[in-house]
Amino acid sequence: MDLFGGILDVIDEEMTVSDDEDKVEDRTRALMDMYSLENTEAQAKPQVSTFQRFSVDTNESLHFEPYIPEGDESEHALGNDDVFLTGNQSVFDESKELMEGRTAQSESDPPDAYCTDCQTSTYVFQNITGPHKNHRVILMKKAAQEIKSSINKTRSKLEEKITQMENFAGNLEEIFITVEENFGRQEQNLEHHYNDVLQTLAHRYDERASALEDEKKMKLESLYSQLIDCGKMLDNSKELIEQAQMVYRNENKYSFLQRVMPVMKRIEEHAKKEPDLKISTSLEFDTQTANLSDVKQMMDSINAVPAPSAPVMNPQVPNSATCTSVRVCWSLFSDDTVEYYELYSRPIFEDITVESDLEASKLKVKETHYTVTDLLPNAQYEFWVTATNTTGISPASEKAVYMTVPSPPVIKPRECTSCPDAALIRWDSGNSNPVDSYTLELIEMGAESGRAGVTESIVAIPTCECLIQLQPGKCYLIYVRAVNIGGPSERSESFTVSTTGTFFHLLEDTAHPCLSVSEDGFTMFYTDEELPLSEMAFSDNTFARCVAVLGDLIPVRTKHYWEVEVDPHTEYRIGVAYEDTQRNAYFGGNNTSWCMRHVLTPSRHKYEFLHSGWTPDIRITSHPLRIGVALDYDQGKLSFFNADLGQHLYTFDCQFLHYVHPCFALDNPGGLSLRNGVTPPHYISLI
Amino acid sequence: MRLSGRPNRNRAVALCTLCFPLAWHGGVFRSFQSPSSELKCKMKFAIYLPPKAESSKCPVLFWLSGLTCTEQNFITKAGSQQAAAEHGIIIVAPDTSPRGCNIEGEDESWDFGTGAGFYVNATQEPWKTNYRMYSYITEELPRLLASNFPVDAERMSLSGHSMGGHGALICAFKNPGKYKAVSAFAPICNPMQCAWGQKAFSGYLGPDKTTWEAYDATVLAASYAGPPLDILIDQGRDDQFLSASQLLPDNLIAACSQKNIPVVFRLQQGYDHSYYFVFSFINDHIKHHAKYLNA
Repeated sequence: MDLFGGILDVIDEEMTVSDDEDKVEDRTRALMDMYSLENTEAQAKPQVSTFQRFSVDTNESLHFEPYIPEGDESEHALGNDDVFLTGNQSVFDESKELMEGRTAQSESDPPDAYCTDCQTSTYVFQNITGPHKNHRVILMKKAAQEIKSSINKTRSKLEEKITQMENFAGNLEEIFITVEENFGRQEQNLEHHYNDVLQTLAHRYDERASALEDEKKMKLESLYSQLIDCGKMLDNSKELIEQAQMVYRNENKYSFLQRVMPVMKRIEEHAKKEPDLKISTSLEFDTQTANLSDVKQMMDSINAVPAPSAPVMNPQVPNSATCTSVRVCWSLFSDDTVEYYELYSRPIFEDITVESDLEASKLKVKETHYTVTDLLPNAQYEFWVTATNTTGISPASEKAVYMTVPSPPVIKPRECTSCPDAALIRWDSGNSNPVDSYTLELIEMGAESGRAGVTESIVAIPTCECLIQLQPGKCYLIYVRAVNIGGPSERSESFTVSTTGTFFHLLEDTAHPCLSVSEDGFTMFYTDEELPLSEMAFSDNTFARCVAVLGDLIPVRTKHYWEVEVDPHTEYRIGVAYEDTQRNAYFGGNNTSWCMRHVLTPSRHKYEFLHSGWTPDIRITSHPLRIGVALDYDQGKLSFFNADLGQHLYTFDCQFLHYVHPCFALDNPGGLSLRNGVTPPHYISLI
Repeated sequence: MRLSGRPNRNRAVALCTLCFPLAWHGGVFRSFQSPSSELKCKMKFAIYLPPKAESSKCPVLFWLSGLTCTEQNFITKAGSQQAAAEHGIIIVAPDTSPRGCNIEGEDESWDFGTGAGFYVNATQEPWKTNYRMYSYITEELPRLLASNFPVDAERMSLSGHSMGGHGALICAFKNPGKYKAVSAFAPICNPMQCAWGQKAFSGYLGPDKTTWEAYDATVLAASYAGPPLDILIDQGRDDQFLSASQLLPDNLIAACSQKNIPVVFRLQQGYDHSYYFVFSFINDHIKHHAKYLNA
């Protein structure tokens, strides 16, 4: 609405400030520029109403040219050069036609020809010899046609003009309405302003009047006190005189002499006193010059455009921010005229003490929105805006807080595990400040080369990990986004999950210092070198006696299967253990771990299946090099197989009270490799 | 299913039902008697048919019983029917020796003669005519079953207890590729070295010990060169015969380790030589067989 209001004000100015035509036009142009910017923005949106407010000298449809026929049409319409009816006929053809069409024989017959030059009827037989011999003469029929066509042409031109007139009338109507509205607004403004002025004047009057009152009172009071003084003096004097008279009348000469002296003294003294006959106050009143400068200012400002009121900041629109920019929007409080806005911004830090030192940055903006860039991700900024026009600057708007979206999180591949039914994904926030939540997106990869399927999203994840349910035997792409009130971040780098077999990494921070893990994280070694105890870094989480390490396992109650490749000379322990299994114990020696143990004696290989320190007596003749471990939480079974032969070695029957971790230990220098993400062989189901 | 078909001219396959069919776990247990050409007498066997046998051919597990047993012991005592039904396996339990042949001395001892055929083809008189249990088990019985029951002759396996364990092992070693799996309970692993075996072999096979080697699992293992086997052996630790050195599993294990023949040998604490021991672990064995029979 300000668009329209603004332009109308321009019209208004033109009407009232007629002496400053040039200045006004410049200003008009400037304002037009401003609003034309707005217009190009607005062009994208469909315009709801066909109302267009026009400025008098800008829009073409208002440009009304009176219809002026080109020259005198009636005279020239049928001249030699006019070819609208007859085509490109030459003069010779015409005369031939004339001869052929001749119908009148003599002057008593009705005329059969028409002279276009003289515009009178004539006769064909007079063509060569008559008065029109050098004029263009054509058959009456033809003449009639020519004239008819010229009439049509004129008529259609007139019709066009009628339409134009109607348009113009419509536009004028709109202008009337606009002017009315504008007038209304101006009237309101005026009333408001004058009311203010009147109020101020009345106030002044009251002030002055009461000042005068006060002064009057003061003066009266002092005069009154003077009066009283005089009265007193009079009384005194009277009293003295009476006394003197009394004394004078006193017959007794002796007492008279006694009394007269002090009385006389008193009278003399009294007479010496000069009566103060000066009036204490002046009779004139102070006429202060009334300070009406502010009233004058108000009067001056009535005709000027009022300064704008504070704009209103819009709240942040969801999904309008990126991690380095926000789109700040505001709107005008009322139909103010505004030349430009000034946008102030300041970052908000968690640490309040920093904030007060920071200066706000200022930006001059013509539109009612601006995309502020070069911001930090996941950060809050406060914005406020002032509007300026020729009269002045509005007060600042309320401060609004906008937030940039966070940076994308970073998935930690070494901490993700998967099994046929589910996957546990862990990631780093990617932001130093906390975010509100995370969104995880997963796309099932189709069988056809990498064609992606529908994206599924899991929203409002509060922590940096998520256990998602999946279908077995498929391949998924996983993305994570961080979300705050500004919106979601960009996608993280993708992570591929294959729901084939069980896939996990080793928890390297549980490894005994003598156990080293290869770079790919799946092969472990117990090296020959004797590390001095001082160089071994133990923590609460590492194994201290058993050279062992735990694997990460997904807490999913299904069947799991993985394989371990060993070499025949390595003494190892392979199995599962609870997360809190004693770090200073050996696997299988307690009731928190179950394992298959290979011991090498000088005479033979020995295999034990240990739990709580107990093992069954089992002899195995073919020494497994690839051991399959199958874990079934529901049935409470842990089985070991010679995966190369498919030979079942042993199954523990156990009730797992918690989720378990795969565990691996080396009892002598050697190595073993973990084979993960393997499809379980069919015979697993026979356990 | 036709039980007694027309006598085949080549083989006498007239079968006689000996008892009413008993339904167990949805399957059927029956005993049959049939004249045997190898053994020259009527031989009985018990058979368990799982429900799956009603509609399709099933693999078959031969159970060879031990000393003094008949075809009834296993079926009535071992409790194998449930697992067999689950995995769709037919179980056949033949008798342990020819019976009623009227051979002198056949009933003198419990560990030689009647009920102690040792699954060999005897070469010595008076045993050699009838005591041909090896051929009966490995050839005649499978043929008989194939003609009369919905057995899949390509999928057979062997198991047994004690002397039957010995029988299962030797049949498997001597017929590479014929049996898909083999397992044993407290088998006589090295008969040439134990009292039982020496008595039986000298009686059935004569004094030449080289002829004994063909029926000794340990010796056969040492020279086995057939397709891979997967052998499961359970042995009760408290088995009196183990401590009496009749069973000698260590010898077999050593031989198999040498030849890299996969064996899992389990010494089960608290178990002896009885059928209770068999009953306790028979399911593991049936699963072991199922893995290969149903593969």
